[in-house]
Amino acid sequence: MADHITSKLNPDSHLILDQPLLRLPFELLRKNFKVAHLNVEKESTALKSTLRETANASLNANASPDDVLKNVDSMIARMRGLKRKLTSCSEEENRLHQQSQSRIRHLGELYGMQSLDDVKYEEWSRTRLDRLLVDYLLRYGYKESASELAQEKGIGELVDVETFVQMSRVSESLRRGRVTEALAWCNENKKDLRRMESKLEFTLRFQQYIEMIRTQDEQKLLNAITHAKKYLLPFKDSFPGEIQQVYGLLAFPPGVGPDPYARQSLVRSFKPFHAYTQLPTLSPPVPLLHIALSAGLSALKTPSCHSLHAPSSTTSICPICSTELNDLARPLPYAHHTKSHVESDLKLLPNGCAYGKRKLEEYARKAGLDAGWYKDLRSGEVYRCEEATTVYIS
Amino acid sequence: MDNLLIELAKLRRDSNLTESIQDVDKILEQLEAARESIVQDPNSASFTLAKLQNPLKHGFDKVNDDLKKVHKGQSAYGRALDKNLPHKELPFDIDGLASRPTLINRAISMHLLREGQFQVASTFLDEAQENPPQPSPMPSTPNFSEIDETDLPSLKSRELQDKFSNMYTILNELKAQNLHPAIEWARANSHELEKRGSNLEFELSKLQFVWLFLGPSVNGLPNDMNNGLSGALIYAQQHFQRFQARFLKDIQQLATAMAYSSNLQDSPYYRTFDIETAWDDVSTSFTREFCSLLGLSAESPLYLAATAGAIALPTLLKLYAIVKEKRTEWTTRSELPVEIALPRSMIFHAIFVCPVSKEQTTDQNPPMMMPCGHVIAKESLQRLSKGGKFKCPYCPGESIPSQAKEIIL
Repeated sequence: MADHITSKLNPDSHLILDQPLLRLPFELLRKNFKVAHLNVEKESTALKSTLRETANASLNANASPDDVLKNVDSMIARMRGLKRKLTSCSEEENRLHQQSQSRIRHLGELYGMQSLDDVKYEEWSRTRLDRLLVDYLLRYGYKESASELAQEKGIGELVDVETFVQMSRVSESLRRGRVTEALAWCNENKKDLRRMESKLEFTLRFQQYIEMIRTQDEQKLLNAITHAKKYLLPFKDSFPGEIQQVYGLLAFPPGVGPDPYARQSLVRSFKPFHAYTQLPTLSPPVPLLHIALSAGLSALKTPSCHSLHAPSSTTSICPICSTELNDLARPLPYAHHTKSHVESDLKLLPNGCAYGKRKLEEYARKAGLDAGWYKDLRSGEVYRCEEATTVYIS
Repeated sequence: MDNLLIELAKLRRDSNLTESIQDVDKILEQLEAARESIVQDPNSASFTLAKLQNPLKHGFDKVNDDLKKVHKGQSAYGRALDKNLPHKELPFDIDGLASRPTLINRAISMHLLREGQFQVASTFLDEAQENPPQPSPMPSTPNFSEIDETDLPSLKSRELQDKFSNMYTILNELKAQNLHPAIEWARANSHELEKRGSNLEFELSKLQFVWLFLGPSVNGLPNDMNNGLSGALIYAQQHFQRFQARFLKDIQQLATAMAYSSNLQDSPYYRTFDIETAWDDVSTSFTREFCSLLGLSAESPLYLAATAGAIALPTLLKLYAIVKEKRTEWTTRSELPVEIALPRSMIFHAIFVCPVSKEQTTDQNPPMMMPCGHVIAKESLQRLSKGGKFKCPYCPGESIPSQAKEIIL
């Protein structure tokens, strides 16, 4: 049987939640490399062929010296462009290297700790909570809060604010009412989206369609029908209900009937979340905070946390009983215990409440009672000591 | 992790894009030189260009080699990463919270407030209001959205923020070794504190006495009659009266200690006047009492829950793996099927496990004490007695069910 109380810290298994911390920068590093590689490949092919053609043309005297010079200039320009791109890749690479280093150091600190009671562990765990919070905030699109918190706590290297901002450009453009970037993004990530059975592309195309109808311009309406045939009909098996709506919409100009014209829902359906999962292998589909919390809430929860009996007033308030988490923990299972965990010197007061003897004595002393009296820690009723009976917990 | 750090250092040193940029630069130089010579002598253009083809090809080969090296380095680092932080599947399909983002947002904003991050909290409240979260219930999670109606404004964040900012003001004063605001607060809440069995008010006043007693050389306050021994005496006369009923003994001790003021170090009261940790202690108990009076736990619940979660996860993962493999489900949805060991500081409630049924007692199945003083769960009692006389499973005592008494632990 597992022990009820532990303070053992096993860093290897303790880092389950922290895998994305190192995976994400690494995956981005690879992506960054691919971009660099692609550019080199493209430019080298182009340059080599330009050079060959120019040389041939010059040899056959087909090209004027001016033309030759122009071609050489364009090659130099291309090369400079390549250098610029590589330099920016190199900067990104450096950022990711730096970030990985800080993160490995941060995780490594855990290996230097003796136990869960170590003061250093508490500090580390607080930083972890801050990381989880920033991750949560980013996923729900609370960007300002996320960067403020990261800055306030000085954990910029340990969270992905910057990466996220880069990735959330798409959702930004959506918010401004442009779907082009989002559609391009859909195209790049076709495979993953299909696997996720994402409705995203359909929603975007539908929105384009709505925007065309919104104008009520005759030409645009015709365009809309073509658009629907081309982009929306292929989805008729996946989303039959919506397809009906598509044609229904033709009959309803904006302002009549229920309003599917609202743009609001679209922006919401393209949460930065999607952009974040651009790299699905390393970025978990739900916020890590959810995982940590649902495990933690259950581990801490006891039947007493949602009991009708108020907990005794002197104990420190339990985190699950505290307002912050009480409702959240309600539907979750409570922790399993195989052994009782009560004070060893329980005394039962006549009103049915049981407390440890030492606790009762201390409380009586603090309340300024004479010797020989107990005071109930919940209700404040006062009893003679003889009225209390001993409780045996086996 | 040290190994990984070494691998990363290798990667940074040997396999980065700098070299490829240098080689691109070399190609650029060659191109520019070629251009120069064409400008100088337009007739040599075809010759110069023909001569350039090979170096250009070599140049790009070199760049490609550089890139290959980077790729190799990255792969090596990737392998080291796999080795040092082996991939473990996280239980994404079991997310009990996905349907309740509003409550999570509430917990987060309260956490930020209690941590004193008022600026971040207010940004967060604004952002969350503007863009409320959408519950995304999963098939495996219960959808409790109907009780999820609590919207953020109802959290009375302003009120809470004022309270916490008050708390931080007092704590900062304590840090600056000024007890007065804390004492004032304790006096204003004297009744509630007494009900909680807290002697914070007295502890603070006592520290004030000791602080004055130790005199200007320690407390750095002006050396006048309101400081030092006489200051402490005046303070005691003014303030200790109200504590006489409850703390007579402590006050007597403090008074007697005055007689030893010349050689406190060797007196029996040495300990009382050792204030090395006293300031931290009162700060901690002040925070605890302050939060308790707000109905909140002293430590951030979010912090405790996240930490407990990290501790619990390895065990839970093992469980999920078994459940998946055996294709079973645990029968009691209301209780976790495995025991999770937590540090002592994370156990808050009395837990009673019925020795007969091995179940934890609940409101529906409360602990019952038989006349002999042994306790079992109500359901076990009913099963044992079948309504009639029965023997205690732990001692020879016999009783009837109506003699058993429900107890509250």
